[in-house]
Amino acid sequence: MLLPAIWMAAIVYAAEITILSIGFTLTYLTAKIPNFAHGTYAGFGIYTAFTISRIFGLSPYIGFPLAFFIGGLVSVIVYVIVIQVLTRMGGGAIVLTIATLAIQIFLTAALLVYAFWIRTIYKTYTVGFLLKDMDFEFLDMPGIFTVAVSICVITIVLLHYMLTRTKTGIAMRATAEDPELSSVLGIDTNRIQIYSWFLTGGLAALAGAMIPLWFASSPYTGSNMIPSIMAASLLGGFENVYGAIIGGVAIGFSEILLTFFLQQNIGVWVGEYRPIVPMIFLVAILLIEPAGLQVVYERMMASGTGRRFLRVIGWKMEE
Amino acid sequence: MIDLISSLAAISGQSRLIVDIAMYFGLFVIVAMALNFQYGNAGVPNMGCAVQVIVGGFTVSGITTRLTFWIVEMAGVQLLPYRSDYDWVYNNFRNVSVLTNGYLNEHPMLCISLLLFSLAVSIILGAVIGWVIAVPAIRLRATYLMITLITMADASQIIGKNVVQLSGGTLGMFVPNVFAFYPGDRTVIMAVITLFIGLISFFIFRTMLNSPYGRLMRAIRENEITVGSVGKNVVGIRRNILMFASGITAISGCLLAFYFSYVVEANYQRAFWTYWPWLMLILGGPGNNAGTFLGTALVVAMRRVIIVSKWFFDAVLFFPIAYFEQILLGALLIVVMIFRPNGLIPEKLLYIPGINYRQLVREESKVDWRAAPKAREKGKRITFIRRKEDK
Repeated sequence: MLLPAIWMAAIVYAAEITILSIGFTLTYLTAKIPNFAHGTYAGFGIYTAFTISRIFGLSPYIGFPLAFFIGGLVSVIVYVIVIQVLTRMGGGAIVLTIATLAIQIFLTAALLVYAFWIRTIYKTYTVGFLLKDMDFEFLDMPGIFTVAVSICVITIVLLHYMLTRTKTGIAMRATAEDPELSSVLGIDTNRIQIYSWFLTGGLAALAGAMIPLWFASSPYTGSNMIPSIMAASLLGGFENVYGAIIGGVAIGFSEILLTFFLQQNIGVWVGEYRPIVPMIFLVAILLIEPAGLQVVYERMMASGTGRRFLRVIGWKMEE
Repeated sequence: MIDLISSLAAISGQSRLIVDIAMYFGLFVIVAMALNFQYGNAGVPNMGCAVQVIVGGFTVSGITTRLTFWIVEMAGVQLLPYRSDYDWVYNNFRNVSVLTNGYLNEHPMLCISLLLFSLAVSIILGAVIGWVIAVPAIRLRATYLMITLITMADASQIIGKNVVQLSGGTLGMFVPNVFAFYPGDRTVIMAVITLFIGLISFFIFRTMLNSPYGRLMRAIRENEITVGSVGKNVVGIRRNILMFASGITAISGCLLAFYFSYVVEANYQRAFWTYWPWLMLILGGPGNNAGTFLGTALVVAMRRVIIVSKWFFDAVLFFPIAYFEQILLGALLIVVMIFRPNGLIPEKLLYIPGINYRQLVREESKVDWRAAPKAREKGKRITFIRRKEDK
């Protein structure tokens, strides 16, 4: 092994949180709501990978494209049936957020029903399972480590390319900025919304499909990750996809490494409080700087010292 | 007298269901009314009702139980050791159910004062926790407030799971039976008291909503910038509302603990105590108390009936009833939001006692007919402006 196991766990977890928080931020940008059901899409990814590997006996990696498709489909159905209708009726941000909460409960229950159904038919464990034994070895390390990191990097690069170079991506950014103005310019905002919801749902399910290869999973795993996702998104500024990348990496690493460090120094009991770490981050961000890293970046760009610092660390900036 | 009541209240079977529904109606109507006070009237989206309810429960398990032990030990009853984490859980059953309840059996006044003490402490602690959870996000957008409160509801449950001295950890713990002196069925008197407290809080909320402060709350809901521009402290008012309603919500957790005589964090889940009150509020119609009552009654009755007729559903469905219930209630909220966005009973216009609205509408204002020649042809014009009396 090139790395200690705890570092690998932290990197895998950070990759998953990053992909999830990118999707969460994209939803917030285009639909202007914090989507509490976002974590539950990951649950669909988890059970796609589970079905492919345990029921059909194939490698869970084959399930990744399928998970992307299923997650996107679920997300689009949610958008078309609920969010779009409520937005047209003039529901505010609060009403839509409550609706996403209801969707979260509905989808989690659907996953529970699916898990129960599989258990009665195939007589196998469907809750609290791991797929580590289906994984392959690469460079003397579990394959998921390489795969998670590369999927995360590829997602970021492709997303950056899409948002800055392709027509759809630019239309997506325009819709996020001002839906009315972009529809005046001839952009079909509805179609763009559907694309964006498909993308976010798919990314969430893709991240979810990676979870059972390292962490024990159950139908609640996805919904329990939502505080981490929101903290990551909030750290990055809540309205900035690139900020969400930094936030995801920071929260993912700190959640595992900070807990591990504290466990070694204070006592084993700290491990039980691991879910509180992202919440502490969330509260701290809201108290110190509610707009997150985005404002910090803007302030650095505004001051001379900050610009010099950015130049020293090799940041390319437009003069 | 007490014997008569207890003989009337010998309950079983169908009447047990009615008592159960009444109890849960009382508990949830307190939470839902407080939520209506916050969201329906002031526009504060409190997604952390579960935090305040759990505070009520922990008050009973962490403070009242300790106080009772102390009083009982002072009175000379020898309790088993309860200081350490292990003893606190291990000796809990014998300490509470045998030794303490045996003493409380003969001291009705102590029981009643313990109940009142728990209610008072849970109101105060609920208000304190309302202030604490308001600190990070009350100044920011409503979205941030919702996110913070939802995560705090999860955090409170994790703390309840791991701090053994608070509520006995995952095993839970028994709490003293404050109706040990009552010879009849404890659940009946508990339900009666809960409904009575619900009634009192209804009158308190109604009075507050019809007061000038209530009108100020509605003004904040409609447009906070305008209210701020006329010199009102919007953030302070919001915080006060959250604190007040949090205190009332904590009562519900306190009563739930006494109803079960048992506290465990799993009883205070986020889905249970945040999502359902919201469902009741949206179903009945935010902004009026009648809608809250109707929504609470419908949801509680539906839920209890589903649980009671479990065997029927188990024969029909291929999966457990708990999941079916979640699916049903989740779908119900979305359906109500889409088809009845104002709820079953929409909010009525505010009625202020002492103002004759009919006269206000009928009275005409003086119109300068030269400025509005067309209006003269239509005859008399009805306006909503009250005429100033000529002197």
